[in-house]
Parts: sequence; C-alpha cells; structure tokens
Amino acid sequence: MDVPQPLIWIAKIVVIFGGLVGTAALMSLAERKVSAWMQYRIGPNRVGPFGLLQPLADGIKFIFKEELIPAGANKFMFRLAPALSAAPAMLTMAVIPIGGTAVIAGREIPLSIADVDIGVLFLLAFSGLSIYGVILGGWASNSKYSLLGGLRASAQMISYELTLILTILAVVALEGTLNLRAISENQASIGQWNIWTQPLAFVLFTITMFAETNRHPFDFAECEPELVGGFHTEYSAMRFALYFLGEYCAMTVLSCLNATLFLGGPSVPFWPEAPWFIGVAAFCLKAGFFLFLFLWVRWSLPRMRFDQLMRLGWKVFLPLALANLLVTGAFISFGAH
Amino acid sequence: MVIVQRKELTFAERLYLPEIFRGLSITFSKFFEKPITRQYPEEPLPTDEVTRGQPRLVVKDDGNIACVSCGMCEIACPAYAITIDGGETDRQIEREPKRFEIDMLRCILCGFCEEACPKDAIFMSNELELADTTRRGLVYDLEKLKRPKSALQPRIDYVYRINKRWRSKQP
Repeated sequence: MDVPQPLIWIAKIVVIFGGLVGTAALMSLAERKVSAWMQYRIGPNRVGPFGLLQPLADGIKFIFKEELIPAGANKFMFRLAPALSAAPAMLTMAVIPIGGTAVIAGREIPLSIADVDIGVLFLLAFSGLSIYGVILGGWASNSKYSLLGGLRASAQMISYELTLILTILAVVALEGTLNLRAISENQASIGQWNIWTQPLAFVLFTITMFAETNRHPFDFAECEPELVGGFHTEYSAMRFALYFLGEYCAMTVLSCLNATLFLGGPSVPFWPEAPWFIGVAAFCLKAGFFLFLFLWVRWSLPRMRFDQLMRLGWKVFLPLALANLLVTGAFISFGAH
Repeated sequence: MVIVQRKELTFAERLYLPEIFRGLSITFSKFFEKPITRQYPEEPLPTDEVTRGQPRLVVKDDGNIACVSCGMCEIACPAYAITIDGGETDRQIEREPKRFEIDMLRCILCGFCEEACPKDAIFMSNELELADTTRRGLVYDLEKLKRPKSALQPRIDYVYRINKRWRSKQP
C-alpha cells in the first residue's frame, strides 16, 4: 500500500516540530539539573523519575497563572511580541536536515521538512526576525527596564548577526551551495568536515551563537542585576513561557545549524555507510553537545560588560570573520582547496 | 594612598579562550562530585544530646511524671509559654499538675525550664518538627508532652555532665 505524500509531510512536521519543542522543554529541566550538578546540588527530582515531568508541571502552572498586562502598555503589541519571538525560532527548524535519507518500508524519505535550495538564506532571514519579538515586547511593556533590555538585545543581536552571517558565508563559499542538505552531504566522512577547513569560522560561530540567542555570558537582554528581568520584566504566565520556549528553540536550531555546517550533520565518523537512524542519532549527539555547551558556559562564566560585548563584536569578531572570508575567497579563486 | 599596579595580561590571557576552557574544566570536574543536598523530609536532620529541641516531660519508670507543679519553669520561661495548674495527689509527693500546657508557638527553645526544674521533670528533647493546621493544636497538653525517661536519657546524662556544679547526682 502506498502512503500518500501529504501524509508523509505531516508525519515529518509532527516528528521534527515535536522533537524541537520537546527538546526546548527538556532544556528547561536540563538547565536546572546541570546547574545543580555543577553546584553539588541535586536539582528538581520530585515530579516523575529524576524530575523528568517537571517541564509538564511547569507548563500546567504557566497556563493557569494570571496574565498581567501593565497599565499604559500597548496591549496589541504586548500580546503579539512573545509569538513573534517564538514563531521564527520554531520555523527555522524546517530547513535543517536532521538526517540523510530514511528508508522506511522501501520508501525513501529525506529527513528534513523542507529541502529548499536557499536553506541558509531562509534560516538567517527568520532568525533575524526573532529580534522583533524582543524589542516589541520591551517597548510595548511601557517599562524602562523592559525598554532598555529590548534596546540592548536588539543592538547586540544586530552586531553579532553580522559575524554569524560572515562565518556562515565562508562555509557557503567553500561548499558552493546554500542548500543545507547538500552542505551536510558534502561532509560525509570525518575528513571532509568543515571544522578542519574552517576552524576560525567554527570558533566564531560557536561564540556568536551565544550572543545571537541572548545567552550567558552575553545575556544583556535580561541582565538581572541591572534590568530586573530585561525585556520580559512585565510578562507573566504563558506569554512569559513563550519567550523562554522561543529562546530554547533558537538555541536548539543554532546548535543543529552548527552541527550541520561544521560537524558534518548526520555523518558518523569512520562509518560512512551507517544506517540512517544511526546518522540521526549522531546528529542529535552533535547538536546535544552544543546544547550542553550553552548550559555549561552559563553556569561557569561571569557576564560581560555591555561595552566589552560591543567592542568584542565590532572590533574583534567582525574583522576576524571578514579576514576569514577573505582568505577563504582567495583560496577558492586560486583553486588551492 | 594606594597605587594599584594592574597586572599586564599575557597574550594567552587576552585571548580569553584558554582561560574560558580552564573555567569550564573546573565546573565540569564538579559535575561528578557527590551532592551535599539533604533531602529533608526523607533524610531528617541529624540530632544528638546537644540538640535543644522542644521541651518534654519525663515519665518515670513507675509511669508517673516527675513534675510536682512547683511553677519554677513557668516563672523561668521568658516567653510565658508554660501554664501550670497544680492539684493534690495521693502519691507521696502530694502535688502534681492537673494542667500542664506549653504553647509551642511561644516557646523559643531556650532551655531555661530545663535548668530551672528542681525535680528533673522537664528536659529538652531532640524533637524539632512542629506543624499543625490550627493554633490550638500547637498548645501541647500533658498527654502530648509526656515522654518515657529512656527516650530522654542521653539529654539527662548530658545535662548532668555539663551542669555538675548544681546537679550532683541523678535520682
């Protein structure tokens, strides 16, 4: 019996989107668990085995909490902003190939929701959109902390987006394609991984990832000692949770992107003809490492100062990324790679 | 005036990355160490004879409390937590409390009642947990305060040991 194509699409959307949101939910637990383990604590362990049902309990709590909208807030924008922050982060997952081609019951299924030729462009465009949620939320709250948090976040994300794009551009120039599937297929064996040809781009991308998602040590958007809660100071209940969901989704997507661009996506080292599910597992491991890195860094390093962040972004990362692109371009045009 | 000499950073330090990895390795090494958390209701606090918990009345081996309702503890109590109504008894001591109440919400666990008692009738136990849904439920009466002497024996021995100036021998 032949399964109609739309059913396969729907199944893929459900699995990948569910996996993304599930990862984001688990990350909220992992954040607390990892911080606890690093501080000789145990962390949440009351809800379910090892506290695994904690995200569910949190979700129920968030839904039933009272929603407060501050007086003088722009109500329409205030309600819209969290969705604007979370939706682009989730949408970008559509172009990321989480595996090669699955063969189920004799049918070949490419393991990404959308296999588009401008995958990288789509991803960058949408991840650039998520800043609207932050700055609109900060502005619409009618609170100075929120506004300052939103402004800082936008300044930071715009500065670091440049470096992010330039590092990706170096990889794209090397691979000669914007299709993420093609990029990951070009790195089938461990010797072909882009981390070897683009080590500087890898380091820059990994650090910029933190700034792009407003994570520690670059989390100026919600810098507690200065800005109370930053752009989401006035948010409560499910809209607050939506911001967090967006943040964790953005982290997940960027981790996946990092794994795809630099670590060969689903390619398994020293086992080129590995079955597709091993490839998916390898991909999850690679992305999982970066997700762990997010938490690891957060609980190890102090927050930077805002002027240090800007100096690092404009005076260090941007020239390095440009130089990297220049050298890559020179190598390509003189045919030496 | 103090002139602070700022240390000139080496290139490796100004690069940040090696220092970051050092920091990360420190936190990662703590990852596998044993947590110091005590999971309280399941793992109660360790107590010993020095623990000054809630006061309790000693029930002697013959089944009677040692209290003669002299009122010393009532007077010594700085928080006015103790209320005693004395009455007669056929036992040789002639007086015993008809009502002996300690308001646990007032009690500050100072141990003055234990020091004041001339008959070794009241001692600080190692019981620390105190919870109820009503205020009345936290006013402990005779029945709630009684503890067999064996349960309080370590504390009795300890009090005799440290207060040997005015407590010479156990009855």
